[in-house]
Amino acid sequence: MSRVDLREFLDAYLDEVDEHLANANTQLLALDAALRAGEPTLRAVRELFRALHTIKGLSAMVGVDPIVAIAHRMEASLRAADRAGGQLPEGAIDVMLQAVAAIEQRVRALASGHPVPAPPGPLLAALDTLDEVRTPAPVARTTSGLALDPAVNAKIAAFERDALERGIASGRRALCVRFAPSPERAAAGTNINTVRERLGVVSEIVKVVPVSAPRSAEAPAALTFALLVLTRASDEDVAREVGVDVGSIDVVGEPGTSAPAPEPAVVPVPELHDEERDDVQRRGVVRVDVARLDEALERLAQLVISRGVLAREIAVLASRGTDVRGLQIVLREQSRQLRDMRAAVLQLRMVPASEVLERVPLVVRGLRKATGKAVRLEVDAGRTELDKAVAERLFPALVHLVRNAVDHAIEAPDERRRAGKPEEGLLRVTFETRGTGQVALVVQDDGRGIDAARVAARAGVEVPTTDAALLQLLCRPGLSTRDQVSTTSGRGIGMDVVRRIVVEELGGDLSMTTTPGRGTTIVARVPLTLSIVDVLTFECGSQRFVVPMASIDEIIEIDPTQVSAPPRTGAGSTIALIQRRGEAVPLVRLDRTLGLASADPERPKALVVRRDGDAIAFAIDRTLGQQEVVVRPLEDPLLRVPGVTGATDLGDGRPTLVVDLVALSRISGETSEVRT
Amino acid sequence: MANILVVDDSKVMRDMVVACLRGLPGAVFAHAGSGLEAIERLSMERFDLVVLDLNMPDIGGIEVLEFVRGQDHLKTVPIIVVTTRGDEGARASSLEAGASRFMVKPFSPEEILAETRALLGLAEGV
Repeated sequence: MSRVDLREFLDAYLDEVDEHLANANTQLLALDAALRAGEPTLRAVRELFRALHTIKGLSAMVGVDPIVAIAHRMEASLRAADRAGGQLPEGAIDVMLQAVAAIEQRVRALASGHPVPAPPGPLLAALDTLDEVRTPAPVARTTSGLALDPAVNAKIAAFERDALERGIASGRRALCVRFAPSPERAAAGTNINTVRERLGVVSEIVKVVPVSAPRSAEAPAALTFALLVLTRASDEDVAREVGVDVGSIDVVGEPGTSAPAPEPAVVPVPELHDEERDDVQRRGVVRVDVARLDEALERLAQLVISRGVLAREIAVLASRGTDVRGLQIVLREQSRQLRDMRAAVLQLRMVPASEVLERVPLVVRGLRKATGKAVRLEVDAGRTELDKAVAERLFPALVHLVRNAVDHAIEAPDERRRAGKPEEGLLRVTFETRGTGQVALVVQDDGRGIDAARVAARAGVEVPTTDAALLQLLCRPGLSTRDQVSTTSGRGIGMDVVRRIVVEELGGDLSMTTTPGRGTTIVARVPLTLSIVDVLTFECGSQRFVVPMASIDEIIEIDPTQVSAPPRTGAGSTIALIQRRGEAVPLVRLDRTLGLASADPERPKALVVRRDGDAIAFAIDRTLGQQEVVVRPLEDPLLRVPGVTGATDLGDGRPTLVVDLVALSRISGETSEVRT
Repeated sequence: MANILVVDDSKVMRDMVVACLRGLPGAVFAHAGSGLEAIERLSMERFDLVVLDLNMPDIGGIEVLEFVRGQDHLKTVPIIVVTTRGDEGARASSLEAGASRFMVKPFSPEEILAETRALLGLAEGV
């Protein structure tokens, strides 16, 4: 039997750990908010513990000890917090956020194949001080206010009872929904997972208790699940949504009718591994490498091409007088199917925009602390989805916009008070779907607005008369890096970066409205999807180009002694021959083919591609590196050049042409034929 | 043939366990991503062995054990409890709740394979 190497699971590990880290950050922020509001924290403490425990276990399995060490210390602190009824010592959230960031940093190192640094000593020491501080566990209370079956009641922890009571106090009804699984129901696609999921849509699930029952027609598996939920929906609505009888729903408590005076009693807090979670889990999810989806798209593109060939053949038949009406109907139908198919594949790359917004509260929290400003953050992504690649590229722009808003646009509390505004500034970050194929990111603040006159004075230009002109001015690279402008204008730092990402990298557009004293709204509209290609960057004739990696057979050094002029071609031809493993391969001077000045590099290289199976080499100055880029098709027909498939941005704002060497080889081939 | 149920909310972890045990002759694997799902499947299907994680959302491994051992027809199904270092207290409570074996992550593929063989009554090298 072959030996199993668990390190093979590294990619899947990285994906899953990312998810748990995002959850850990979310729970830390929830914990922070609950601590400040004096609300119960036990659930968030346990959820956080669970995330770290899973990270620790997985990291141990794949042998990433520095992450195990950090997660282990965090766990110890959280265990102490759990014993203290959810209380955390002063400053604990900050230390924990740093610890999560330290894990993230190590995950990134691992992902990029770098050595994973040892855990930082000061961080571990700071974590250790957290579990020394022990607050005695507060006395928990039980109540007789909930109408619970004894078998269910015995399985409810104090904090769950507390959650039910708080829910009722806030105007919701507490229900017990019973679900009895059976092989028939399972075969019809209804099981505890689907029931939880559907129930999660109309209610908040507080606890699920399995109850064993005598085997009967009602409980063929000798098992019933009792799901305790909080909802504003009626029994009928819940029953319909979940697909159970109204008879299997009992009211556990209702606003105004329950909750008599609670009688104090000490309830032991159960062990940590008994913790529960109320949100709906993601089920039936398959992780797929994006490269595989790209491959599917590629295949689809080939199908589209062969459909084009078919259409031409049918046109030929028609021109010869054949009746092709039947064929044309099929052809039209096929076009529609191909379009649908393409949309379906693109759909697979979509992620909820809410994932992009997940980290924004963390950014704002940091800024709040750094600036001492009071900021209320509202985020809303609704059900908007966008391509994973777009989401990843857009994120830094989003962070820039949020940072600008808090750093510069929103005023300090006393300034806001003097201006007659609430001390707490408002920052809204939302995603909306705009028409087809576009998504809009909106970052809105109620800060001081942008003073066009001051920005203009700094830039030494006339005062822009429209918001659009002002935005253009703010996006001027030289201008936006000057600190003074940004502090007086309210916006500015990094606007050129934002513009570059939104407009140049993603092919979207940026707009702004600003009212002095009232606030600023910036809207970035970007396409939902992109085409991403792995490319090689190289220099030729002192210019930079990229070429898709997939088209390159080999990169070779040109040894001048191995280059010869081919027979029957005169001087000045772009074609020579180079010996490659005993075989003569045509060598094309790419600089001449593209009409560029010759750079005469010291150690020239050549990119070998295959055209119809035959190798052909292109001489270039030097290779620069390999990277993933977003390719935008050249839409201007005047710019359509044979051998150039599109343009891309390598991160410095300069457009770089994407060349198709195989197509270029045809052109230079024709050239050489003319010359011979 | 041995039907094995692997219970863990982490898909990577389930996949790792399956990879460790794949060499068992005739082993067939089923996955459960939560304690509730595990209880549901154990109530309706026959399994020869369960690999159970302790740290899960909805209900944890101890609750699963308690429920399962409370069912007449599930009293003897072998259950390997898997947990992470730092849960030393969990060993006692797991065994008390009816776990057949207790393993701490990280464990090696050979370790879990040996435990599984022993529980299924298979000879070494089979």
